[in-house]
Amino acid sequence: MTDHPLAPRIAAYVAGKMPDATGVAVADVERISGGASRETYRFRLTWTEDGEARERRLILRRDPPASLIDTERRVEFAAYGAFHGSAVPAPQMLWLEEGSEALDHPFFIAEELVGFQAAPQTLFAGGYDALLPKVAERKWTILGEIAKADPAALGLTGVMDAPALDACWRRELDHWEAVFDKETLGKEGAEPQPIARAAIRWLRAHPPPPAQKLSVVHGDYRTGNFLYDEAGEIRGVLDWEMAHLGDPLEDLAWGFNPIWEFGRGLAGGLASQADAIAIWERASGLAVDPIALHWWMLFNCVKGQGIWVGSARAFIDGGNREPILVYAAWWLLNAQDRAILKVMGKL
Amino acid sequence: MTPEVPSVLSELAGLLLRNADPDTPAGERANALTLCAMILAVAAEVWDDAADILVKENRSFWSLIQTGARLVADPALAADLAAFPAFAEDDYRLSALGAYNSRARGLIIRLHAALEDDVRDEADTVYRTIWALLVASTERRKLSMAPV
Repeated sequence: MTDHPLAPRIAAYVAGKMPDATGVAVADVERISGGASRETYRFRLTWTEDGEARERRLILRRDPPASLIDTERRVEFAAYGAFHGSAVPAPQMLWLEEGSEALDHPFFIAEELVGFQAAPQTLFAGGYDALLPKVAERKWTILGEIAKADPAALGLTGVMDAPALDACWRRELDHWEAVFDKETLGKEGAEPQPIARAAIRWLRAHPPPPAQKLSVVHGDYRTGNFLYDEAGEIRGVLDWEMAHLGDPLEDLAWGFNPIWEFGRGLAGGLASQADAIAIWERASGLAVDPIALHWWMLFNCVKGQGIWVGSARAFIDGGNREPILVYAAWWLLNAQDRAILKVMGKL
Repeated sequence: MTPEVPSVLSELAGLLLRNADPDTPAGERANALTLCAMILAVAAEVWDDAADILVKENRSFWSLIQTGARLVADPALAADLAAFPAFAEDDYRLSALGAYNSRARGLIIRLHAALEDDVRDEADTVYRTIWALLVASTERRKLSMAPV
């Protein structure tokens, strides 16, 4: 097998970041599927330092030509970095490169958390059944820790906008409605979304109460975006590319989007909504207002549809021809419409 | 289906060829082929019904748009609804049926919004009919392995 073409280029970049290292080399570069917002590769870094041969498994997250989510890698990098070493398990971030000279697109490099699983299919295949209550407990406890954290103390108010408590909902809704406008209005091959548009009108007509606090919002906290081990412990929270500051209920409600039930009739495929809420309230010290939660659930269904519509658009426009974009659109566009109908009581 | 099936199948053909290269890392090949298989399975499931779904929807949308043109108060919207061409049923290619369907959906969004607070009985009936049609549309398009 020949070396991956990225290997020498990654090695040259890393060598420039490690002045005390000699013989920096990169091997076993392998693309990891599923990363539709960033191209994700794992690789093995070897070098010599202080006369000693060393090795580390690392992850490269590189911007694709076009993505289903337009996000700032600096924000994602900062979010990971803010929680690394805390009660919220997150991999260590190493280097952020915002230029395109080294690897054609901006990227960052992080440690790889080795030996754990992320796939919901594996989690729900039967072998983990006895551990699912523990996974549920850890999942919503960790989300509660994220909600409880002080964004300023984490240094995140310097890289993320801090909306007023009564403006969190409008900021997010404006953003995702603009995504629909951008991706569907006047575009060839675009399929207008009457169900999502009706939901947006309802959301604007029935705004939620102000957020009880300004929290870090992971933005995509769901089963499938954390690493778990064979004891049911969660070892890493991944995919922070939509992280922002906002209403903590937004994150809780994203996990209640019916498409993340994986056909099991449970929140995240793991627990009843009532149990998940109880765990989250215990961990966060916050209370869940059912009316506000419903608003955020419907909002998150709209946001999901915005992501799948953007996925289809990225493929149609030709900027990114990754098959994962097709799968997301084909598998989830109609399902997300049905989720909207379900949350609105129409299904 | 968005993106449309022909462009997707063409892309998958290229992907399969690239993965025929013996130098492709085994893990990457496994991931790519698994994804190909899942996409092809969806294409296989929707293929036979695709035109039938669009024809039925286009007929329903056309009928509602015609009714809506008489009901709405906004003259610009009324004119757009009235000017929308009848579903001619002279081109059954999926691309043509889908293009008409998308144009109709764009108008249905505007009609739905215009009737939302209209208390007249006929307006309310059309408003509810649009909801029913949208629900039925998701029923027709539901995949066997869909999560919702």
